[in-house]
Amino acid sequence: MKTLALALALLLPCVAAVPEAEKGRTMGNPSAPLLFELYSDFMCPHCKLLHEQILPAIVLDYVKSGKAYLIYREYPLAIPSHVYAREAAAYAVAASRVGKYQEVSDALFRTQDTWGSNGAIWASIAPVLTPDERMKVKGLSADPGVLASVQRDVDRGRKANINQTPVMMITYRQKVQPWGNFGDYSLLRGYLDGLLKR
Amino acid sequence: MDSSKDRILKIAVILLRVAMGGIFLYAGYVKLKDPWELFAAGIRDYEMVPNWAADLLAQTLPYFELLIGLLLVVGRFLRLSTVSVSALLVVFFSLMVRAFVQGKEINCGCFGPNELISWKTLVRDGSLLAVSLFLTVMAFRARRTSV
Repeated sequence: MKTLALALALLLPCVAAVPEAEKGRTMGNPSAPLLFELYSDFMCPHCKLLHEQILPAIVLDYVKSGKAYLIYREYPLAIPSHVYAREAAAYAVAASRVGKYQEVSDALFRTQDTWGSNGAIWASIAPVLTPDERMKVKGLSADPGVLASVQRDVDRGRKANINQTPVMMITYRQKVQPWGNFGDYSLLRGYLDGLLKR
Repeated sequence: MDSSKDRILKIAVILLRVAMGGIFLYAGYVKLKDPWELFAAGIRDYEMVPNWAADLLAQTLPYFELLIGLLLVVGRFLRLSTVSVSALLVVFFSLMVRAFVQGKEINCGCFGPNELISWKTLVRDGSLLAVSLFLTVMAFRARRTSV
């Protein structure tokens, strides 16, 4: 009994360190030493660049290898040029409820220029969903729970003083480091490898 | 009349010098607070120096800023420190203007990594440059008049 209590006491900080996240918008092992919270806006060109060119390497090197747990956070910027960003985020969160977050995210970034100019978000994501999923996602995208989920991410980002996207909050041993420059992956990798060697 | 004007000018110079020193101390501190790799990434974005030089600058410049800031606050080696500040700000400001004109959406890198170059940052750094040039002139003038 004492051993069990001791084990629970030791595990408690680890459990408490993982912040609230929806299962459909996470990747990797929640008890990995590194935690990545990626704040992104589907209308932001730098987020598209990160998603398509850098994130696959980050996922391969750290998430799939069990070194990091990745949480996607929606952070639609409240600026006039990002008029469809929140709607796109709602579709992505709705898609996460049917297990299609990655596919819809990929589609949204791939077709960013198109729906970003004409607002036809649905036409961009419908092809990656089955007819049944389409019905569910369409309904869920206006669901108060989904909209509240987007707002929770936005509130969390504001609390963390995020004023641009993309930003990845890197947590290691309870120390949080925001990282917003992904121009050169080797620098991020050097930093992360340095953290893990400590 | 002249002496009271001189006194006001002297006080203004001291206040501006201490404020400038404080700003440089802060700039050095916020860069050292973050991992050097993040500052290096910011320098690399300007595409002005090779990567090895960007990495070297990222690891040394914050200490230089702290040193200059400290010298300005305590008022030692004023000619050297004001010239250094002015030279640094001329370089920073020129690079920022160049990036802005080229339409680069990159971080300024002035006070941490989370600030895009904009009119606001240009006006701020331009004002700092003007103040530093004024302090430099005053530092040399004070030396000349005291000799």
